[in-house]
This record gives sequence, structure tokens and C-alpha cells, in this order.
Amino acid sequence: MKLRDEQELPIIRVRGCLLVSIQTELHDRLAIELRSALMERVRLEAIRGVILDVSWVEVIDSYITRILNDIGKSVRFMGADCYMVGIRPAVAMTLVEMGVELDAVSTALSLDAALEKLELPR
Amino acid sequence: MRTVESEIGAILAGSISEITQRSIFRRLGGMARAPLQHLTTQDRHAIQTELESSVRLFAPAKSAQLIASCARALALLGAPGGPADPYPGSSLPAGPFAVHRSGTHDGRTAPTGSTGSPAMGGDKRLAIDSEKDIASARLEAWAEAVRIGLSKFTSVKVATAVSELARNIVFYAGRGTIELRPRQDTRETRLEIVAADQGSGIEPEKLDAIFAGTFRSERGLGKGLVAVQKLVDEFQIDTRPGRGTRVSCVFRGAR
Repeated sequence: MKLRDEQELPIIRVRGCLLVSIQTELHDRLAIELRSALMERVRLEAIRGVILDVSWVEVIDSYITRILNDIGKSVRFMGADCYMVGIRPAVAMTLVEMGVELDAVSTALSLDAALEKLELPR
Repeated sequence: MRTVESEIGAILAGSISEITQRSIFRRLGGMARAPLQHLTTQDRHAIQTELESSVRLFAPAKSAQLIASCARALALLGAPGGPADPYPGSSLPAGPFAVHRSGTHDGRTAPTGSTGSPAMGGDKRLAIDSEKDIASARLEAWAEAVRIGLSKFTSVKVATAVSELARNIVFYAGRGTIELRPRQDTRETRLEIVAADQGSGIEPEKLDAIFAGTFRSERGLGKGLVAVQKLVDEFQIDTRPGRGTRVSCVFRGAR
């Protein structure tokens, strides 16, 4: 598998939310860039939620979990919600066994489900 | 009072570092400190099985001799001369350990086994030098796990554990290796993973704090090691400050 690790992750706006589909190796620099890009757009565009799509990610270790959680925390500090969608069953079971925590990120089964939850009046 | 810890510790001294011995005894739980004469035959079998795999991983050159000494200590001290003596005589015990005696576990080549079980293919050594190697190591480990027939779920765990180990090497030691050793005997298929580096090692106090859950590094070293320990079926860490770290772990699958 070829890793496109020099590339910025595309952020797509959909129904008042920001969607990032993670299809590459998340490393320090990329994660920091993604976090600041997301925060900037949440502020400028009055975004209600951020959705991280991990359906392409086949392995999530404790380090990647921490990065996702940090992004969730930052987005929440801004006043928006952060959702992770499309987590694979084996990945979910592995995370449970490892005992890692993802407390700053809500989860939803699919993109549709996350958008629905984000559109409910808060 | 003679305990497993005191008697086996004396045998392993000089062959296996004290830190590693501690992690071996930790795996035995309460049994390590129980008086030897209180152990049942079943307990002693369980202890011997644990010791055997640890000794094979950490003192491969002397493993046969050490395993035999451990077996003698457990049997002779626990039930002196009694009929319950599980390992009579000076030879290695038969029973559950017999399958490991083919001697292939310490070698670089895959065991063919005396039982005619199929070869599993050779060991793979992956160089871990940069962040890019983390992703390729976990893909390689995943492919290997699937190839030797571990379940889909176990294969994802294998890939995750290798990812954690590779990350620790890159972040804390700079470079190192991860070895994948597929093994098969009549009972099970195993994948042994050995991550080794010549980095700065981990101080004993730090290591204790990591496994007690009280240590947090900026980039999550503690979390990674604890996560690996929770995922695998067997886990050993041997680390010497200034010399490096070696983490050995095993995933088991049914045959």
C-alpha cells in the first residue's frame, strides 16, 4: 500500500459540518495541521460539528487514538461536537481490549447517523 | 521459606536479568510467593509452562539446561521424593512440554516438528528506522498473521501490537528491529513477536510505574506498552538502562 503522507487531508463541508475522511497514516505533523485547520474553519464558518471518518483505517493504535482524542478535545473547546464514524468491528474490539479511552469523541455508526445526531436541537 | 521466586530466581540468576525475572514472576501472580510445598501438581505444571516459554525467549542458548533445572526444583522441592513428583529423574518432563523439545524454537528456521506438522515458513526480521516503517511493519505483521491462519480479529490485534512496538522504537530508540516468528505444534499456531533496540532502555522505577499505570510520557510510551501487554497472550520485557530494550510477545491461535 502506498502511503500519501506528504499530503494534507481534505476537509469537506457538508450540511453545516466538517467531514474528514482519514485514508492515510496519521503522524505528528499531519495531525497538528489537521487540528489547526479544523479549528480555524470551525471558528470562521460557525460549524456545529466535525466528523472524522475512519472507515478506511484498518489499524488504530493507542497513539492514533490519542491524536483523534486531542482533535476531539480541541473541537469541543471551540463549542462544536466531534464524531468518529465508520470504525471497523475488529478495530473497536481491539481498542476495548487495550483499554484506551476516547472520551472527547462521540461515535456514530455511519456518516448519516452522525449528521442526524448533529442536526438535533441541543 | 522456599518459594518459587527464591528457588527459580537462584537458577535464573546470571542467565536472565533481574528486571525480566520480575516480569516473569509477575505473570505467575500469587503462585510466585507461595511456599513451594503448598503448590499442587497442576500449579507446578502451569508454572513450568510459563517458565519454559520465558526461558526460551530470554536465554535461548541455555534454555534446555535451565528448563531442566526449573523442573527439578519445582518437583523435588515441592514434593520431595513423593509419588506426586511430576518430573521424576533428571530428564525433561514429558507431558505438555514434550512438543517443544524439537529444539526448533530457538533457531532462525521454522520448525517442521517431530509430529509432521507443516512448516510455517521462515522468520521475518523487519528494520524499524523511521516513522514510515511503522506502517509497513504493521502491514507485514498483519499479512503474516493471516498467512499462518490466525483469525481476522487476532490478525488486527497483531497489527496493532506491532504498531505500538514499532512506534516505541522510532520515538524512543530511533531504530531497531521487529522479528516475526511463526510457530506451529500439535496444539496451536503461535506468532512470536520480538521487538529489540539498542536505545537508552527503561529505568526499573519507570518500568514499574508504567505497568502500575502511574507513568505518562508526552508521547504515550507507557500507554503503548500496557496496551500491547493487554492484547497479547504472553508478554516479556527485558530492558537495561543504556543498553536497550527487548519486548517479546506471543499471539496464540487454535490449530
